[in-house]
Amino acid sequence: MQGRLSAWLVKHGLVHRSLGFDYQGIETLQIKPEDWHSIAVILYVYGYNYLRSQCAYDVAPGGLLASVYHLTRIEYGVDQPEEVCIKVFAPRRNPRIPSVFWIWKSADFQERESYDMLGICYDTHPRLKRILMPETWIGWPLRKDYIAPNFYEIQDAH
Amino acid sequence: MNVTTTRKDLMIVNMGPHHPSMHGVLRLILTLDGEDVIDCEPILGYLHRGMEKIAENRTVIQYLPYVTRWDYLATMFTEAITVNGPEQLGNIQVPKRASYIRVIMLELSRIASHLLWLGPFMADIGAQTPFFYIFRERELVYDLFEAATGMRMMHNYFRIGGVAADLPYGWIDKCLDFCDYFLTAVSEYQKLITRNPIFLERVEGVGIIGPEEAINWGLSGPMLRASGIQWDLRKVDHYECYDELDWEIHWQKEGDSLARYLVRIGEMRESIKIIQQALEGIPGGPYENLETRCFARERDPEWNDFEYRFISKKPSPTFELPKQELYVRVEAPKGELGIFLIGDQSGFPWRWKIRPPGFINLQILPQLVKRMKLADIMTILGSIDIIMGEVDR
Repeated sequence: MQGRLSAWLVKHGLVHRSLGFDYQGIETLQIKPEDWHSIAVILYVYGYNYLRSQCAYDVAPGGLLASVYHLTRIEYGVDQPEEVCIKVFAPRRNPRIPSVFWIWKSADFQERESYDMLGICYDTHPRLKRILMPETWIGWPLRKDYIAPNFYEIQDAH
Repeated sequence: MNVTTTRKDLMIVNMGPHHPSMHGVLRLILTLDGEDVIDCEPILGYLHRGMEKIAENRTVIQYLPYVTRWDYLATMFTEAITVNGPEQLGNIQVPKRASYIRVIMLELSRIASHLLWLGPFMADIGAQTPFFYIFRERELVYDLFEAATGMRMMHNYFRIGGVAADLPYGWIDKCLDFCDYFLTAVSEYQKLITRNPIFLERVEGVGIIGPEEAINWGLSGPMLRASGIQWDLRKVDHYECYDELDWEIHWQKEGDSLARYLVRIGEMRESIKIIQQALEGIPGGPYENLETRCFARERDPEWNDFEYRFISKKPSPTFELPKQELYVRVEAPKGELGIFLIGDQSGFPWRWKIRPPGFINLQILPQLVKRMKLADIMTILGSIDIIMGEVDR
């Protein structure tokens, strides 16, 4: 079953894949990293002017990394605003996704945090450095295969 | 004799992680040209505790004490959102009485948070007196919370399906007395502060954000409403029982620090209105949906045997998050607090992403501070209303 935005994108011939709906009925689309910067501009022009939240997660240990964008339209007097959730999957070896900072400035710290925690590089982001961890930290903490350094659990003898 | 001309270099100054006001640990590296600020770079991470990574190894009940440590001034909101996520995933109905109790607690917490915003804001500007006045009111809120939940600040009160315990006998009358007293207190603040010419000189026209800019930077809460956009998640999302109560959104048009101050003071008054209506209309009934506590399936029975008793931590049967994802949000006093929750079919979530309002509102600080004087930085930083517990998590 295709959502409204998905149908509109198909009508204009834009490559994407619809991932159905999440639990609240918000449409979820998957976009390839190569197409993301153009589709992001198209979505901004379509009306989604508020990037609510940008996060990233690890799909499976050893699998892909996903960067998730929740977009809404803020308008006056709107009751149930339209929302959409975009996921961009990147390979684990060399995760590079175009940055949407120049479209929605609220991605500034959030993309830095996704870089810091999972290692996804956002191209054309003006200041992509570690934000929460110290700048000299090695490793990507929120990945599922991250091993915390100098952390030894007490274990039983047998 | 040669007179050396003064070299004009830009000065780089560090406003170190520790601050005299209760802002928390935020480091600003400022590039100054005399008194004018050229650039400012905030450095975060001094209070990063890995809340998101910890959440991947805790059940919801085990995680509830952690969430009050994100925004430690408005703790009920963090608990509300931690509990709302699994409730929506499990389609759990919250009884009416629990919903009303939650709304009362949330609005009291909103008042508490705005009060503790006002004190340090005025202290940064130079007026030390309101700092003591707000603590007088905040102590009354603490007393109410302690009577209902057992703790002054880090209440572990919300549960999936309702609240942990019902309100004690006589709490409602005390709360109504507090509401009447608080309206006089707000009038006292307004008499003291709002038309004070020194305050207006410091605060009017400082840190102006236009409406489109505010939306583009992803601001939320009083910062967005002070720029002319009437966006309040309590009206937009229709959550809890805000629809049954009669209240309005406070907003201003200018977008400067004075507008943000007026929005927050107005919100405090509006919260009192909401609390009074909710207290008068609170229904009887259960305060927790006990169906969340009945677990039909017996899981992993062999690991409960005698031989496996020291092998690892086995959590007790608990609420299982289905394998779905969800973005829940509440209108916290600082802005839009959101959780992006990806469940695994187990007690622990797969990803628990916190969307902190302070983090996102802080992004605009470098832009607002350019071309301002050094003294305006504290005004702007104060009016953004950040708390490092949730900025860093």
